[in-house]
Amino acid sequence: MRRYRWFIVAGLGLVAVLTGFLVANIGADLVYYRTTSEVVDETDPVGKGRFRLGGQVVPGSIAADATGVQFEVTDGVVTLEVDHRGAPQQLFREGIGVVVEGTWDGSTFHSDSMIIKHDEQYRTEDGGVYTPDSRFPSP
Amino acid sequence: MRPIEIAAAGTMLTALVAGLVVPPDAVQGDLQRIMYVHVPSAWLAYLAFAVTLVASVAHLVTKRLEWDRRAGASAEVGVVFTGLALATGMIWGKPVWGVWWTWDARLVLTAAMFFVYLAYLGLRRSVDDPVIRGRRTAVFGVVAALQIPLVHFSVIWWRSLHQPPTVLRPGEPQIDPPLLFALLMAVVAFTVLYVALTRRRVELAAAEDRLLTTGGFDESVAGAAVSAPMTGEQR
Repeated sequence: MRRYRWFIVAGLGLVAVLTGFLVANIGADLVYYRTTSEVVDETDPVGKGRFRLGGQVVPGSIAADATGVQFEVTDGVVTLEVDHRGAPQQLFREGIGVVVEGTWDGSTFHSDSMIIKHDEQYRTEDGGVYTPDSRFPSP
Repeated sequence: MRPIEIAAAGTMLTALVAGLVVPPDAVQGDLQRIMYVHVPSAWLAYLAFAVTLVASVAHLVTKRLEWDRRAGASAEVGVVFTGLALATGMIWGKPVWGVWWTWDARLVLTAAMFFVYLAYLGLRRSVDDPVIRGRRTAVFGVVAALQIPLVHFSVIWWRSLHQPPTVLRPGEPQIDPPLLFALLMAVVAFTVLYVALTRRRVELAAAEDRLLTTGGFDESVAGAAVSAPMTGEQR
């Protein structure tokens, strides 16, 4: 038994990771987040319960109040309103990618959890511009 | 110190200076500097496990134990750097994404790769006979390598929080020249370090095998008067 100890540790770790992945994603049909176009295209997104919505923060759309921030996200085709409760993340700004988690009531996405999705570009201050991730819009 | 180890120390020092001196990223600021450890660590994971694959195939073809030792040494270094890539990724993710961990395809597959190669090392430890060990672990080393492209392309094949590749991608690298320079210096430094570490580990593995096959310790080294301490059952 002692000889197989590390084998067992690794096996349990692998099972834990795969189980966690399945449990965390099974509700969202194994998609990490939905685009704004997908939310609008779905027949009954209101009945879907909690899901993640990903998109680019529309410049000029950010407003804040005592409970959180309101802004719009877009995938380049469809733009949706987001009402986020709680403080935004440190890197939250115009034009950056966000993945918000919450519910959709047919006109506004009510979010209580925000993750920043930055892109693969790294630029110095005087370098290029930050452009949206254009790989996943559904035209 | 051997030339390769001096080279590893020298390139590491250069990479450290470059990583601290180049300008910060426009969006992430100094947090982006974690990349100069995170990306080369992930690169070493790919490199090390690819070498394990090649050495495993070479062992299956030639039956020579030195290829088995190379496969094992490389996997051991690879597991360490996969762990470092996971750890630095979490340290980077907390301030930038806002979470330590999320169930995203790249993160899950990297963690799975870490545990699979940990199992590979466990298998190596659990078989005493070098010939049987070599055969079993070589098959494991070949099958496990199927994950390497899966991990790398996970960010392209699945919608994920982790950003797609910056340098190893079709088209131009999406990174400004000074930042790219620091990153490439770090990749070179980690690669030289990998060679230095793996060489030492192969020699250690060869010494271990000699010890096992010659059947015990060379008493002339420690002196005949020194005997092994008594343990539980013997006492």
